[in-house]
Amino acid sequence: MLAQLVSSLLSEQNGDGGWGAVPGKQSNTEATAFAVLALESAAADASRIAKAKSWLINRQNGDGSWSLSDSTNGPSWVTALAIIALSGSAEESARVIKAGNWVLEQEGGKPGLLAQLILFVTRQKRAVRLNQDLTGWPWTTGNFSWVEPTSYFMIALKRLKPQLPTNAVQERLAQAELMIYDRMCDGGGWNYGNAEVYDEKLWPYPDTTALALIATQDRRERNENRLSLRVLNQLATEADSGLALSWAAICLALYGQDVAALKSLIVQRFAKTKFLGETKTLALAVLALGEGARYFRV
Amino acid sequence: MNRRQFLKASAATSLVPWLSGCERTSHWEREAYIRPKRSRVAILSAESYRKPLSNIIQRGVELFQLEVRGKRVLLKPNLVEFDPNGVINTHAALIEAAVDAFKVLGAREVIVAEGPGHRRDNEYLLSASGLYDVVKEHRIRYVDLNTDDVRLTRLKSSFTSLRQLYFPETLYNADLLVSMPKLKTHHWAGVTLSLKNMFGVIPGSVYGWPKNSLHWAGINGSIVDINSSLPLPRFAIVDGIVGMEGNGPLQGQAKKSGVILFGSDLVAVDATAARLMKIEPRKVKYLEQAGEFLGNLGYEQIEQVGETIDRFQQDFRVIDNFADLKKLVG
Repeated sequence: MLAQLVSSLLSEQNGDGGWGAVPGKQSNTEATAFAVLALESAAADASRIAKAKSWLINRQNGDGSWSLSDSTNGPSWVTALAIIALSGSAEESARVIKAGNWVLEQEGGKPGLLAQLILFVTRQKRAVRLNQDLTGWPWTTGNFSWVEPTSYFMIALKRLKPQLPTNAVQERLAQAELMIYDRMCDGGGWNYGNAEVYDEKLWPYPDTTALALIATQDRRERNENRLSLRVLNQLATEADSGLALSWAAICLALYGQDVAALKSLIVQRFAKTKFLGETKTLALAVLALGEGARYFRV
Repeated sequence: MNRRQFLKASAATSLVPWLSGCERTSHWEREAYIRPKRSRVAILSAESYRKPLSNIIQRGVELFQLEVRGKRVLLKPNLVEFDPNGVINTHAALIEAAVDAFKVLGAREVIVAEGPGHRRDNEYLLSASGLYDVVKEHRIRYVDLNTDDVRLTRLKSSFTSLRQLYFPETLYNADLLVSMPKLKTHHWAGVTLSLKNMFGVIPGSVYGWPKNSLHWAGINGSIVDINSSLPLPRFAIVDGIVGMEGNGPLQGQAKKSGVILFGSDLVAVDATAARLMKIEPRKVKYLEQAGEFLGNLGYEQIEQVGETIDRFQQDFRVIDNFADLKKLVG
């Protein structure tokens, strides 16, 4: 089955070397970065991988960041994925260090003084339960921090750690970890970034829970990680999507668990839905079914 | 978005005209909009999600001079999230009925497209909501608007400072966009109906989940700016068979209403839907703004066909912050 998935992935590569979100769409950084990792993990045709890497390399912005695609301007959260995809290539070291320094300059936004004053004066019931002073990384520059982009940026920075200014990296990672734990759902696991709205608990998602656990895999002794690992194991048994199953398998493999049963479920899902043709899910399935978890080890 | 950001955005939005001294008309391109004198809205009774719903949809669409023969029709339901114990989504049976109805009416192609606002996982959302089976059985395309190719589009109104947004290419390749929201209250906006449903066309790959840039720019203004600038004609079919009250759009309680609403003027449709929920549309900030130029908000400007509001009107609870919406003006 792994060979079939790799073959599908190769067949969907665009002429420019990249991949679109689904076949026939314009190449974008997210799909291409995951495809590069998947094909490398499967030791696929080197020339195809080189072409894909060239697509990424040629699209780095002057400030070190990446945009989502040729149709969008400005830096994007996908910069973290480009770093992860290229960080294993020694010849791209200067490129990813430049990107890493850009990442260190980015930070999630905080509410302004006016909003805080209004809240204080009106004494309105708190809408969400989270510490807004803890910042990770946003989806778009200057916006609020959320679990998924923060997890990607943490993985990228942790992989680049020895090559970046030690104090700056440690400071950002320490705060991002606090943010991630602050956003954890009651009982473990993560929603997209809130745990509660107007006293109603939000529920954990398998994909974001796996990502947050991957980003904090070097803190596996913490109670939050143990709780969330238990939640992920439960969610994974109920998951009915290639995305959730693949992220869960990658995460649990990094935590040393046997993921054979999850691999079977991934194969079953592909047979049933073809993952709706989503390149990212196809690439993650290749990573999960093979030895791809190592690309997310920090 | 949390309470503080919401207040900040709201305060900033309300301060803009005061500080600049601008008239309200400066918020949109006057020549781009001609508000109809009257707008028709249909309320049709639908007891449950059991078949034959497609007959009701077809009857509702036929109450409007909507030419769909040979057209590519894009159905945009609300799949923001899924809760097996809740009623978050536009029901798959209603979407299926709309697919059937538009095909019978001669549409060249019917597409279902959504950019879920909370979950990235389309395969999960489609499977859990029952839409996967609909798409497969009817052999229709589902487009994830979150990851679609995009086109930068200048906004035709400025109720936020956004000025431009990336819209999915799929919108430019369709002839009619049918907003298919659920009849729900909303903890940030008051109500979420056919206009708010358009948050789902904004690509998450660019703006993130939960469409965070729009929240920072101000939810009310964003709803208006998106709807003022969409590049194709719209129609609305509101799933009010079972709605949601209280802490919507995700965690409210089910409220059986037994209706489907139809209309080409989305402002008028939403105003009527709000009245069905005993919510005053003029007090919903974005409806009040949209009512200035995008469509008709006033009861007198809406031609009601099908069932009457009185017959199906119910008291939908709202969270405390929106208690003022319950004071009906008329």
